[in-house]
Amino acid sequence: MAASFASKCSRVGHSLFGGLGNSLSGLVTTSQEIICNKFLSQQQQQRSFIQMRTVLKVVDNSGAKKVMCIQPLKGRKGARLGDTIIASVKEAHPNGKVKKGKVVYGVVMRAAMQKGRCDGSEVKFDDNAVVLVDKQGQPIGTRVFGPVPHELRMKKHVKILTLAGHIA
Amino acid sequence: MRLEKCWFCSSTVYPGHGIQFVRNDAKIFRFCRSKCHKNFKMKRNPRKVKWTKAYRRLHGKDMTQDSTFEFERKRNRPERYDRNLAEDVLKAIPKIDKIRVRREEKHHKNRMKGNKAKLLKEAARELEQGINLVKPPSVLQKDPSLTLPQIKVLVPQQQTEENRPMEE
Repeated sequence: MAASFASKCSRVGHSLFGGLGNSLSGLVTTSQEIICNKFLSQQQQQRSFIQMRTVLKVVDNSGAKKVMCIQPLKGRKGARLGDTIIASVKEAHPNGKVKKGKVVYGVVMRAAMQKGRCDGSEVKFDDNAVVLVDKQGQPIGTRVFGPVPHELRMKKHVKILTLAGHIA
Repeated sequence: MRLEKCWFCSSTVYPGHGIQFVRNDAKIFRFCRSKCHKNFKMKRNPRKVKWTKAYRRLHGKDMTQDSTFEFERKRNRPERYDRNLAEDVLKAIPKIDKIRVRREEKHHKNRMKGNKAKLLKEAARELEQGINLVKPPSVLQKDPSLTLPQIKVLVPQQQTEENRPMEE
C-alpha cells in the first residue's frame, strides 16, 4: 500500500509531494530493497534513487552545470546507475551548447546509491552525476570528466565510454 | 575473477562480498564488510585501528618482509593460459601457505620470548606478597619456613641421661 502510494507520488508532478515522496520512498526502499538500505538509522545516510527533483551534477562539456531530474525513464521508484532520465537544466555556463531552462535527456554516470554488479559485488560513487545526451543516446558534449562505470557498456552507451578518462 | 584486498583491514574480499566505493578522483576503495566500510566513513585511519593488518604490520606485531609475500603481489599483465603452469601453481599454493604460516608462527614466538621469565618473576612476587591468602598467619607462625624442607636434627640421647642426676 505504501509502495503504490509512493510510486503514485513520484508520477504526479506536484512539487508539494516532491519532498514527501523522497522521504517516503526512502522508507519504502528499506522494506523492498534487498541489496543494502536495510536499517534506517538516523545517523546513517540513506542513499536512494534518482527521482523527480533530484539535482545532479553534469560532468561533460555540454555547457550545463546542474540539472534537475524531471522524469526517470524506466524504473518505478527512480533511476539508478546507467539509466536515462529527462532533466531540466537549472544552471549553465554562459556560453555553452545548452542553456538554462532547456529540457534534456541524460545518462546517469555516477550514483551515490550502490548498484549490484553481476559478480555479486556492489559499487557506489561519491555523488550523483549525469552526462547529457540527445534522444538517440549520443552525447551532446565532447568530453567526460571523472570516473565512469562499466554498466554503460551493457546499456550500449559505448560512445560515452570512449570519451571517459577513467573507467571504474 | 580476482581476489581483492580490503582497503581497511587488508583481508581478502572474495567475489560476491563487500562494497566498492569509487571516489571522484577515480580511486577505488574496496571493503570486505560493512564494519570496514563504516570505519572508513568515520574517517578512521586504519594504521591507528588496532585490529587491522596495517596497524599490526606497522607496530611489528606481524611479519612485514618475507619472500613468501612476493608470490601474492598484484600483477597487472594477463598471463596466457598454460595448463602445465596452472597445474604447478595450484600445487604450489598450499605449500607456500604452509611455509608462510610457519614463518609467521616463528615470528610470533620470537615476539613472545621474554614472557616466561617475566611470568615466573611475577608469580614469585605474588607468592611472597599474598601467601596469607593461601594459608592463615597462625599456621605460618608455627612453621615460618613452609617452603624450606624440614631439617631433622639428631639429638644424642647420652646428654639427657647425664643431665638427670644433675637436676636431682
